[in-house]
Amino acid sequence: MTDRLLLLLPTTTYRTEAFIAAARALGVDLVCASEKPNVFEAEAPEHLLTLDFADPDDAAATVAVFQEARPLRAVVGVDDTTTVVAAAIAERLGLRANPVAAAGAARNKLEMRRRLHDAGVPCPRFRPIDLHGDLARAAREAKFPCVLKPLTLSASRGVIRADDPPEFVAAVERIRALLAGPDVSVTGEAARTILAEEFVPGREVALEGLLVDGRLHALALFDKPDPLDGPFFEETIYVTPSRLPHDVQERITTVTAHACAALDLTEGPIHAEVRVNDRGPWVIEVAARSIGGLCSRTLRFGTGMTLEEIILRHALRWPIASLQRERRPAGVMMIPIPRAGRLRAVHGVAEAEAVTGIEEVAVTAHLTQELVPLPEGWQYLGFIFARAESPEAVESALRAAHARLRFDID
Amino acid sequence: MSEELKTKVQDLIDNMINPAVAGHGGFVELIDVQDNRVYLQMGGGCQGCGAADITLKSGIERLIKEEIPEIQEVLDTTDHAAGANPYYTAGKA
Repeated sequence: MTDRLLLLLPTTTYRTEAFIAAARALGVDLVCASEKPNVFEAEAPEHLLTLDFADPDDAAATVAVFQEARPLRAVVGVDDTTTVVAAAIAERLGLRANPVAAAGAARNKLEMRRRLHDAGVPCPRFRPIDLHGDLARAAREAKFPCVLKPLTLSASRGVIRADDPPEFVAAVERIRALLAGPDVSVTGEAARTILAEEFVPGREVALEGLLVDGRLHALALFDKPDPLDGPFFEETIYVTPSRLPHDVQERITTVTAHACAALDLTEGPIHAEVRVNDRGPWVIEVAARSIGGLCSRTLRFGTGMTLEEIILRHALRWPIASLQRERRPAGVMMIPIPRAGRLRAVHGVAEAEAVTGIEEVAVTAHLTQELVPLPEGWQYLGFIFARAESPEAVESALRAAHARLRFDID
Repeated sequence: MSEELKTKVQDLIDNMINPAVAGHGGFVELIDVQDNRVYLQMGGGCQGCGAADITLKSGIERLIKEEIPEIQEVLDTTDHAAGANPYYTAGKA
């Protein structure tokens, strides 16, 4: 009998195409669940489900009923909004996944900080800020520079650096307005509280890993060559392999493994953000998911396996031939939104794709789309992908390609 | 044979598929049937939609393969980047 897999696919995730392609490549019987009904759910109820991703217990109960007639072998949440609900479903069905509390801790930046701090993992000093408390007092008591961030948003959304008390108050008010917006569905503590943490200077890297029975396997370490010093923290270029010294890379993996253990994460993909300075690596965040956006297109393993195939194989308890990334350096540029407005036209894609080393320019914003830059926004104009003989050549290609693109926004 | 398959697929699109996706402002257009493969384009709310792959693979393809077992695969030829009014817009979560 074919193994049946449940994918949790939010309607607004970038990750759908890659995970569905991986599921098809593996030949599994695929069930797709989203938070809103698909137009064909009535015609294909054995393959399409609607689940309330904001209510893990309810979603787990729904899936438990579903799988009485159609047993599931694995459940995989594809991004941040589905990690906790995937863990809850897996726990209910006895499938491979992180403990629910661990997934919850990784999803809440304040709880994550507490656990990392208690376990002695190097991380920024922090304190919670009551959004409706005495902001002037909180600002007076803060240490500067600091970084203010919502507890549960992703992609640097709402993350703002403050260098003095007036900037602190302005940042908190800006985040408060963001969290009250109609497109942000935070509730409970995440709607009342944000995190203020010490700004850690240094270079930032991202570690992509896979946890198997509690052991972290480093899949790829990405350098982020553009400085992330604020006031907003827009991610742009990722290049792997890292150009950091080998011993520093090993320390990054070690400290990330400690962070995973502190959070009690044991199974599946992780994406960690780590800062490195002369005092060593500092864990900024560990998410219990794979790399976001379309960025996983930079990664190939063994004889060409995608990151998503590895994730699905792990969840299904299928063998994985190799976790070794290809040798050729690769990178991606998340094309930033330069200013607010409507996207009217895109120029220079062919010229950008003609740059040596560039594999693809994927413009994901659609014409007429209302573009919102950071810190309120959470999308990109698109992604540029490159492969070359060296990390330096990858970075150069990405910058050259980006320079050839022009976006008409009004 | 191909013309016969085309007619069957077109009937399905007209009578089952397009009425369903119309609820999200979308439509599906048959481009061709070759070697038992169906080539489609998605338009309107489906073009560029964050859920288009789910709709195609778990909805449209299953429906077509169930009704017309000779069909092996359904392929999407849509330029989703050109979609001006997708029902769901993807973002980095």
